[in-house]
Amino acid sequence: MANARVIIKRRKSVRNIRKITRTMQLIATARFQAAFSRAVAARPYVERMTELVADISNAVEGEISHPLIKPRENAKHSALLVITSNRGLCGGFNANVLRKATAHLAESPDTDVFMVGKKGVNYFRFLKRDMAERITDLGDLPRFDQVEPYANRFMEGFAKGQWASVHVCYMRFHSVTRQTPEALRLLPLSAAPATDAKKLVPRKDVQYEYSPAPAELLAELLPATARIRLFQCFIDAAVGEQVARMVAMKAATDAASDMITSLTRRYNRARQTQITMELLDIVSGANALA
Amino acid sequence: MSGSNGNIGKVTQVIGSTLDAQFAEDKMPKIYNALNLQVQRTVLGEITKETLWCEVAQHLGGGSIRAIALGSTDGVQRGVDIQDTGQPVTVPVGEKTLGRVFNMVGEVIDGRGAVDIKERKPIHHDPPEMQDLTSKTELFETGIKVIDLLCPLVRGGKAGLFGGAGVGKTVIIQELIARLARFHSGFSCFAGVGERTREGNDLWLEMQEAKIGDTGKSVIDQTVMVFGQMNEPPGARLRVALSALTMAEFFRDQTGADTLLFIDNIFRFSQAGSEVSALLGRMPSAVGYQPTLATEMGQLQERITSTTRGAVTSIQAIYVPADDYTDPAPATAFTHLDSTVNLERGIAEKGIYPAVDPLASSSRLISPEYVGERHYKVARRVQQVLQRYKDLQDIIAILGVDELSEDDKVIVARARKIERFLSQPFYVAEQFTGFKGVYTKREESIRSFEELCDGKWDHLPEQAFLYVGAIEEAATKAEVLAKGQ
Repeated sequence: MANARVIIKRRKSVRNIRKITRTMQLIATARFQAAFSRAVAARPYVERMTELVADISNAVEGEISHPLIKPRENAKHSALLVITSNRGLCGGFNANVLRKATAHLAESPDTDVFMVGKKGVNYFRFLKRDMAERITDLGDLPRFDQVEPYANRFMEGFAKGQWASVHVCYMRFHSVTRQTPEALRLLPLSAAPATDAKKLVPRKDVQYEYSPAPAELLAELLPATARIRLFQCFIDAAVGEQVARMVAMKAATDAASDMITSLTRRYNRARQTQITMELLDIVSGANALA
Repeated sequence: MSGSNGNIGKVTQVIGSTLDAQFAEDKMPKIYNALNLQVQRTVLGEITKETLWCEVAQHLGGGSIRAIALGSTDGVQRGVDIQDTGQPVTVPVGEKTLGRVFNMVGEVIDGRGAVDIKERKPIHHDPPEMQDLTSKTELFETGIKVIDLLCPLVRGGKAGLFGGAGVGKTVIIQELIARLARFHSGFSCFAGVGERTREGNDLWLEMQEAKIGDTGKSVIDQTVMVFGQMNEPPGARLRVALSALTMAEFFRDQTGADTLLFIDNIFRFSQAGSEVSALLGRMPSAVGYQPTLATEMGQLQERITSTTRGAVTSIQAIYVPADDYTDPAPATAFTHLDSTVNLERGIAEKGIYPAVDPLASSSRLISPEYVGERHYKVARRVQQVLQRYKDLQDIIAILGVDELSEDDKVIVARARKIERFLSQPFYVAEQFTGFKGVYTKREESIRSFEELCDGKWDHLPEQAFLYVGAIEEAATKAEVLAKGQ
């Protein structure tokens, strides 16, 4: 029967796929560790920064006025930065972020889209949607100096009144088992990033003396906060991508193994049928001639 | 059947369902001649006498013949007299056979008394001459979407329903009887070959209830049924298709009316042949089948054909042992057919009925010159989408749907909808599915699938496409589903 041969061929190709997915899983694990330790390392800095801003804005008497805080109601357009991956084979990672982005765009159609990652670019190209910019040269672990120019551009554009708001759509990393797609409002700046909602409360027990004056300090610190928040998004996305790839490749390897098992069973059965049938033909032929 | 021509022999040997008999060397009965003998059985002290019919299969030399018993050989003794009738087995033919149920030798088995028919025909004769055949090619609409679209039946042609055990061959045959016989002006003939007796009984009762169009006549009034079911010995199962065919041929040749011939199940014919083959001393061939498998099939199938006098449209169920289409029995039947409807276990397991495999089923008619450019294109497009989905299945199983390109994702979503849309509620399955049977015109089917392929209905949920008729019904069902949630 040709059947057995077909099964062998298929099993071989599934084996090759499993080899690839297993390797990808190992690589993703290594990359995840690098990205994860960076995300962990960046966290205390972001937290301190947030505390500091909260403290200082508390110290400022009266209304804080800064171009990055003021909402711009008169601007028609807004900006959206979508962070996807350059590479595939990472399960629903890109699909989830892009779904979130599409939902966001459905609410505010007049949005300039800054698309990070080839996967997102391809998707939007498929949807035939315009993108203000395509950013595909950031690599797996974006550095701060790569992200900074974009932060500056957003702040500049926002300050000029080009955009009513700037959002970032990315995969937020909570823990290894939980990541959620989120559309974070980068500008106008809120007092603290949503990340650390419970730490929003400024510490009342400590009294600082500021020099220079708190308002001046804020003018310097707020842009830094915006930059660091944007950078945080990129770091989160990088970790999320590797986690997603790890999980996806683990599932793929398992699925391939299952498939190989069932193909092997089918092959054995086909082979035995073939042998039995040949035997039967030979024996009955021999009997008939005897 | 007439009794004898006075030529009497003696039974010399009984081997299962074959027996040997000795005649005078100069009066040997011809091959295919019918023989009969009286069998005396004693059951609980009560003596019953029965006539056993046999058919000459081989001349062994020296006045000795070997015959296939067409009934049970229980109670046959060596040495009993056996008579030659001088002609092959004959069956009654004519309009009086309508509405009745016969066995293989033409005896009435519906318990309604004997039929008063003088005219009988031998079940063996040559197929129609080459110059008498017609080459008309016309589509036979069934109202079943998947069949009309991908493997349409040919009026006056032959269609085969292939499938393993329990995928729904008999249900489709019964559905086709319900759909075609009900709106059919000519006669129908049903041959039950080696299938369950219960199914034959169900069908018989159902045909008495079903009415033709709005004439008030029962379907059974225009139908002859011939049964040689599982309980019968191989000789009967081997010849019952011929008996039914002989009755159908009469309608074709004498009345000129369009005749439908349903056979369930052709495989049992081959199987019965293989059962007697070894007993006749023939050497088994591939997979243990008789060496004459193709010849036997050819002799039967070549007679099922349309001539210049009338058309016979035949629909045959063909069992595929162990779902292996390369098995010699279904493989030999394959070549004789105009359209093949392949039923696939995988599809039946998904709960999609009729479980027609859209990629393996085919018809001679699927060509622009017969069904028209539009139908042809739509059929091919549907198959392309489903083929692509099939190719992608391994990737989906291993990596998941997310890894497909955007174009492929759209194709996969569409293919899954098409797959479900190929299902259809059946009239005969109403009591099981709870859905009313739906007749979908071919034009409607083509339009529906065309729109599906164009992506006009991408927004509906997959479920909405299950068990509906034309595409608008899917839209209605989607609304109902949305409300239910």
